[in-house]
Amino acid sequence: MNLRPKSTRGIMRAVVAAMVPGTLFHALQFGPVVWLQTAWCILFALLVESIFLYGRKQPVRAGLSSLSWLVCGILMARALPLMVPVWMMLLATFTALGLVKHASGGLGCNRLNPVMAGLGVVAICFYQQLYPAPLPQAPWTLALDYQQILEQQLLLAPRLSLDSISGATPLTAGFLSDAAPYTSWLGYLAGGLLLAYIQVIRSEIPLAILVSAATLCILSGHTIQEALHNLTLGGLIFAAFFIATDPVTSPDSRAGRILYGVVIGLMTELVREFGLYADGICFAVLAANMLAPQLDTIAHSLFYPWNMSKQGSNITLHR
Amino acid sequence: MSQQEAFATQRPYQQSWIQRLITPLRRPGKRWQGGLKLKDYKSLSNGQPIKRHALANSVLSVPVGNGRTSATPCVAVGQQLKKGDVIAHGDHSTPWVHASTSGRVTAIQTAYLADRDSEVVCIQIEADGRDEWCKLQPGNPPRNAEELSVFAMQMGLVGLGGAGFPTGIKISGAQQPDMLLINGAECEPFVTCDDRLMRERADDIIRAADYLASALSIQTARIGVEPNKPEAIKALQHAIRQRTSTVEVHTLPHRYPAGGQPMLIRSLSGRKLATGMLPAEVGVFVLNVATLYALGRAVFHAEPLVTRIVTLTGHVHKPGNLEVPIGTPVADLLREAVPHADNNGVQVGGPMMGHLLTQPKAVTSKTCGCLIVRSTQFFPARTQASDCIRCNRCIDVCPMALKPLKLYEAYQRQDGMTLQQEQLNACIECGACSEVCPSNLPLRDSFREAKKIVVGSARQ
Repeated sequence: MNLRPKSTRGIMRAVVAAMVPGTLFHALQFGPVVWLQTAWCILFALLVESIFLYGRKQPVRAGLSSLSWLVCGILMARALPLMVPVWMMLLATFTALGLVKHASGGLGCNRLNPVMAGLGVVAICFYQQLYPAPLPQAPWTLALDYQQILEQQLLLAPRLSLDSISGATPLTAGFLSDAAPYTSWLGYLAGGLLLAYIQVIRSEIPLAILVSAATLCILSGHTIQEALHNLTLGGLIFAAFFIATDPVTSPDSRAGRILYGVVIGLMTELVREFGLYADGICFAVLAANMLAPQLDTIAHSLFYPWNMSKQGSNITLHR
Repeated sequence: MSQQEAFATQRPYQQSWIQRLITPLRRPGKRWQGGLKLKDYKSLSNGQPIKRHALANSVLSVPVGNGRTSATPCVAVGQQLKKGDVIAHGDHSTPWVHASTSGRVTAIQTAYLADRDSEVVCIQIEADGRDEWCKLQPGNPPRNAEELSVFAMQMGLVGLGGAGFPTGIKISGAQQPDMLLINGAECEPFVTCDDRLMRERADDIIRAADYLASALSIQTARIGVEPNKPEAIKALQHAIRQRTSTVEVHTLPHRYPAGGQPMLIRSLSGRKLATGMLPAEVGVFVLNVATLYALGRAVFHAEPLVTRIVTLTGHVHKPGNLEVPIGTPVADLLREAVPHADNNGVQVGGPMMGHLLTQPKAVTSKTCGCLIVRSTQFFPARTQASDCIRCNRCIDVCPMALKPLKLYEAYQRQDGMTLQQEQLNACIECGACSEVCPSNLPLRDSFREAKKIVVGSARQ
């Protein structure tokens, strides 16, 4: 059976559907804040997209019907750390859809991945305020109810610090042993494999990312087990299957896409090992986005199309 | 260039030593990159045997040109003709034209060709219904390529696959090929005329192939057929055994466009036809099965090309394959097929490369092989084009390894330079990219337009 979506709208719907298991796992671990953050991001994405479509004098309904804003909103909600204030989500979405996507000419014209660009701006400008985000070892947001989270997000209540929650710190042994292992990656992996199966994403990109990241991890002195565990940490699986596979900003040839994946994998691992930031995926993806045309050129020179002789192409050029 | 000059300048095709080493190891029918599987709707009409189209009091308009070149009419209004009489003389680059039925010339005027989408000069013949042949003089088949090329011109033979290239010019420009490739792929959905021809007249096809191979002194002759026509393959193999012929039948990859010339050459001979090259430059001679059959009729029975087989299919009561005299009005054929009332137009040619018929008074020409009555079931309405999301599906399916998304981008900027760099001239307009585009971009149609831009900028 051919499940491959036949329209742009269908592709976007498939991505949204594939995000469901990851989001579910995430919500089980971290509580209602996940749902709230998703809702905020989708709302802002819809808002920013409509305003920019209107401003660019494009048909708003037709522009919204491709659902690319929905995908952007959901991915943005997962890419941002939890418990960030609302204005930060708005800023990230505005950067993603407004500055990156619409300012470069609309759907399909952007050089950078919108979500990663939005996250990058927030991560660089407001580094201090991103943390403490809940960690898998300390999913303290699980205990909060909707009202508390909303107060936090809208900055109506003083910012929580870990010690103020039920008097326990994550460093107490009991809390740590209670914590479930980080499982969201399983959901993202399942969703990503589904997308690869219905041929919405190109499987060579996540494969190249994961293999190159694991290889560099082993080369820098870790054991194989550690390297594999390393793959499940942070947003690597999520980014490999959902962010890096964005067709707009990835190269146009298979060899180019493999090189692109390798660049992302290596750069992520380098930042993780030696960098200042906890996770380098965002910067790795942005750097590889900018390299995409060059990677394409390299791939083109490696594998010449079967029906074109080099001589023939020269004749066309000099005509 | 005249035909004599063409013969004087031709060189035999030379394979390099490494190619000669590898070629015997290669299995023909090898796959090429790209292409796509289409739902082929062939069962609508492939069970219907070829029937002769009965002409009763109909008025035929036999085209004397193809829009670019035109033969000189040599009949007068009112003249009585028999089927097969010469009605227009060609020259070294224009095939002759023959009366496709017996009757009286009523006018010499322009008519609209269904598959060319243009008006050309036609000779109008009022059929008398007897469909009598003129005096045919079979025997004395041409012995060598030079004679054959002149003969093919006089018999009005053109490529029946769709391009309509005069077979005589093809033979004179063949440059001593070492391989004869016969195209029986018929990769377009709906079309079944070549399928029926191979099933019912395989013997004539093989005989003609043997003759052509010996006339051009070619050792290897290969027929490529898509695997969705098992009966045709069986019939051809049977005919080969009967005639103890050396022609080989190979199955092509079952993907559209397996019958495109570069793809066919690649799968049957393993040779690569680079952009801008002619098949003669890689030492192959490519002919459609229908053309080969017509050549056989001309050589052994002295019958000029006056009929062709047309598939009538789609949303009709009586689909079928008709042997139609050239110049029959499309309306006559449709009357035969009885379209359903809720049709929306007629597609001329296949669904991929053909187009919607705009003129109801159009007539069939030598290259019009299929008429499909459209319906929403077979031709769903296309939704409005949205933005390209660079999903790369068009690159995956492009059989010529082009980048349709970049070409489209360049076309929208009217950027002739990029269009040339991205090898627009290699595009065979197969329409595979438009078919898979999730944003419904009119890719193929814009490339047709873009070719005009490139030609325009080259002229300046």
